[in-house]
Amino acid sequence: MASPLLSGAPGETHLFLGNEAIVRGAIEAGIQFVTCYPGTPSSEVPDTFYRLSPGGSYTFEYSTNEKVALEVAGGATLAGALCLTTMKHVGVNVAADPLLTLTYTGAPGGLVLLSADDPGCHSSQNEQDNRIYARLAGLPCFEPSSAQEAKDMTRAALATSREVGHPALLRTTTRVNHLRGPVTLAEPTVLPKPAGFQKNPSRFVPIPAFSRPMHLRQLERIEQLRELAEKSPFNVVSGGGEVGVVASGIGRAYLSDALDEMGLVGKVKVLDLGFTYPLPEKLITGFMTGLKTLLVVEELEPVLETEIRALAQKLGLTLNILGKTPGPLPRNDEYDTAMVAAALRQVLGLPEPEATCACGTDPVVKLPNRPPNLCAGCPHRAAYAAVRKIFGDSAVYSSDIGCYTLGILPPLKAADFLICMGSSISAGCGAAKAAGQTVVGFIGDSTFFHSGMTGLVNAVYNQHEILVVILDNRTTAMTGHQPNPGVDKTILGDNESKVDIEAVVRGIGVTQVRKVNPLNQKATLKAIEELKDLSGVRVLIAEEPCPLFARRTLGKKRVQVAYVDGDCASAAADGSCGDCLNTLACPAFLVENGRMAIDPLLCSGCMLCLQFCKNIKARKGDAK
Amino acid sequence: MSTRLRIFMTGVGGQGTLTATTLLARAALAAGLPVTSGEIHGMAQRGGVVESTLLIGCKSPKIGPGEADILLGFEPLETLRALPYLKPGGVVLSSSETMPPPSVATGKESAPTVDDIRAKVTARCGRSCFMPVRSLGVQAGAVQSGNIAMLGALCAMGALPFGRDVLAKTISATMKPKVAEINLKALDLGAACLA
Repeated sequence: MASPLLSGAPGETHLFLGNEAIVRGAIEAGIQFVTCYPGTPSSEVPDTFYRLSPGGSYTFEYSTNEKVALEVAGGATLAGALCLTTMKHVGVNVAADPLLTLTYTGAPGGLVLLSADDPGCHSSQNEQDNRIYARLAGLPCFEPSSAQEAKDMTRAALATSREVGHPALLRTTTRVNHLRGPVTLAEPTVLPKPAGFQKNPSRFVPIPAFSRPMHLRQLERIEQLRELAEKSPFNVVSGGGEVGVVASGIGRAYLSDALDEMGLVGKVKVLDLGFTYPLPEKLITGFMTGLKTLLVVEELEPVLETEIRALAQKLGLTLNILGKTPGPLPRNDEYDTAMVAAALRQVLGLPEPEATCACGTDPVVKLPNRPPNLCAGCPHRAAYAAVRKIFGDSAVYSSDIGCYTLGILPPLKAADFLICMGSSISAGCGAAKAAGQTVVGFIGDSTFFHSGMTGLVNAVYNQHEILVVILDNRTTAMTGHQPNPGVDKTILGDNESKVDIEAVVRGIGVTQVRKVNPLNQKATLKAIEELKDLSGVRVLIAEEPCPLFARRTLGKKRVQVAYVDGDCASAAADGSCGDCLNTLACPAFLVENGRMAIDPLLCSGCMLCLQFCKNIKARKGDAK
Repeated sequence: MSTRLRIFMTGVGGQGTLTATTLLARAALAAGLPVTSGEIHGMAQRGGVVESTLLIGCKSPKIGPGEADILLGFEPLETLRALPYLKPGGVVLSSSETMPPPSVATGKESAPTVDDIRAKVTARCGRSCFMPVRSLGVQAGAVQSGNIAMLGALCAMGALPFGRDVLAKTISATMKPKVAEINLKALDLGAACLA
């Protein structure tokens, strides 16, 4: 079935995920070049582009990291292509170097950076607010709050970027990326083929003599963009009265619902800001004039609040500006409708309603948690079990970003510290050298290509002491099985330009390298023992496909399942046996009538537990 | 003021919570209603809790404590965990079949029984229905279709601003014929639970 994302007719309305709406917006703008590094909550944007790429008229690539992705798109826009680069918020830190100079060179073909921020840290290590990058780099910033706006603003950001020849920032948050809503389609623009790069060193080579005038031209473009923000259809004033609210991003949705529910629509003056930077100062000046109180609703940092306060000071206005410094709204986590309603009541001096929920004042008793876990059959569990058997708590485990971070949970306890993508190797080296501790670093295949390789070069060159375990599960598992340079196969077919991890490791100069299938415990334990006795930089490549990926993409079938021999007394959960119940913690394990059992529906057939206990046996399983 | 309806859905990763949410959202759109739904992906998918929302007449994709008109729990422990989202007098539909978290399955922690959960929930909501969602799914032809059985029950309760026909049409229009057939059967099995 043809996708409405590619071929939907103007006027049709479809239900789209926020991230799908971004794809449609880019297609309507005439997108020619898409690069990315996947990361929640951005991943469905590149994954959708990739899935549709056989029928699309754009170039697409999963780049090795965010810096590379933005640089590839940077080159493409200099050669005249309309480009989109997507990443999660922390990825922009990796891409910050090219970003801050691309606003000097400009983007002749147009270039939009999607930064998917994650207030509330649903799947991230921090909740940084990338609207600040708009200020730091000088990027016009668009912040949608619905699926329709995600489509419309993506298109507008791309068109604006191309018109002004300057990169733009599309800044979303998890709730916007992962909401679904109706989207009405419009006619796509057809662009001419990229004109190719036009040589002009004073414009494109930022040596100091050229950078200084480039900076001036950048500042001029920011003023040009400010004029566009002043009259943008995404910046709308409504309502009236002496109390005003400025809202941006998903905060606009919460504000709208709160006003509606409180019966305040029209009674409060509202400025919806969608094109949020450069700040439309004239629009805001007009909005503020005559107000006694102004509430700013924006998740995370008080960015607009501070800028509006500075503007009011410049204008000599004495209205009371509230937001999060000091309050009533917080500077962390997500907002919701009730929170915005409470802030409105405070500003308007309305009484607090009684808190109402079905539970009343009787909170639900403490329930057992259901934390995310490594799947049944996950090869990371096997690698961790082997490393833990040999090193126990005597080593420091330097972790990295991927499914394998879930190894933090007992009983594996294989993540002692983590900083960012690729840090397992470099930070592991530092931790080892500082006080002579034994460090084992764990890094996944995609993360190794992302930024582990440079750390490994550093480790070799600076003669560090580290055992690096590359957990190569042949895909980028956590974010949804995206391809990376090392994979054998993708949803669209074979990887014809495979980069071999072992060859890279050896090419970097690591001489002590072992490669094992971690599901083979005996071989894995032997390799770790050998590497433990050596010094310097040592690498163990633990290679076995992610079982979900193997089943869905590689077409691998389960041939057998594990079961506990019913007559076995030592299979009791009293710690008297080999104790795989407590050392492996496979989600397929359970205790029935005081005895360990294995759920045949959940068992993946990896046969790791058989190697731990003679009382666990294999039988033929149904294909799963 | 427009008519608002907020449905909070919760289940365990891999159960098909998001499929049910999307189907409901498509049906609401087909019925001409202003719909927004929300879901949380990522870390939640590795056997953790998956929560999703469906809102009619709202711009927000999020449901706060005490805001949900309807709570759909595809696993009973998760129904109880999500109860603070329900408004007083709200409707609860829940699976009565447990999927114990690993700590409970391996005897390290205890969880309330389904009867405990049912008693707690019933005491705190306007109307509730516990149904064997997995078994209904298996009976219809695929375990995942159990979620659709719950949507069938919700329709039959008259708790939605559209009827079975809209949901049935959406199933037929968006799923492969074989899958649609199973889900249509599940829809009716679910509705029969209320009888």
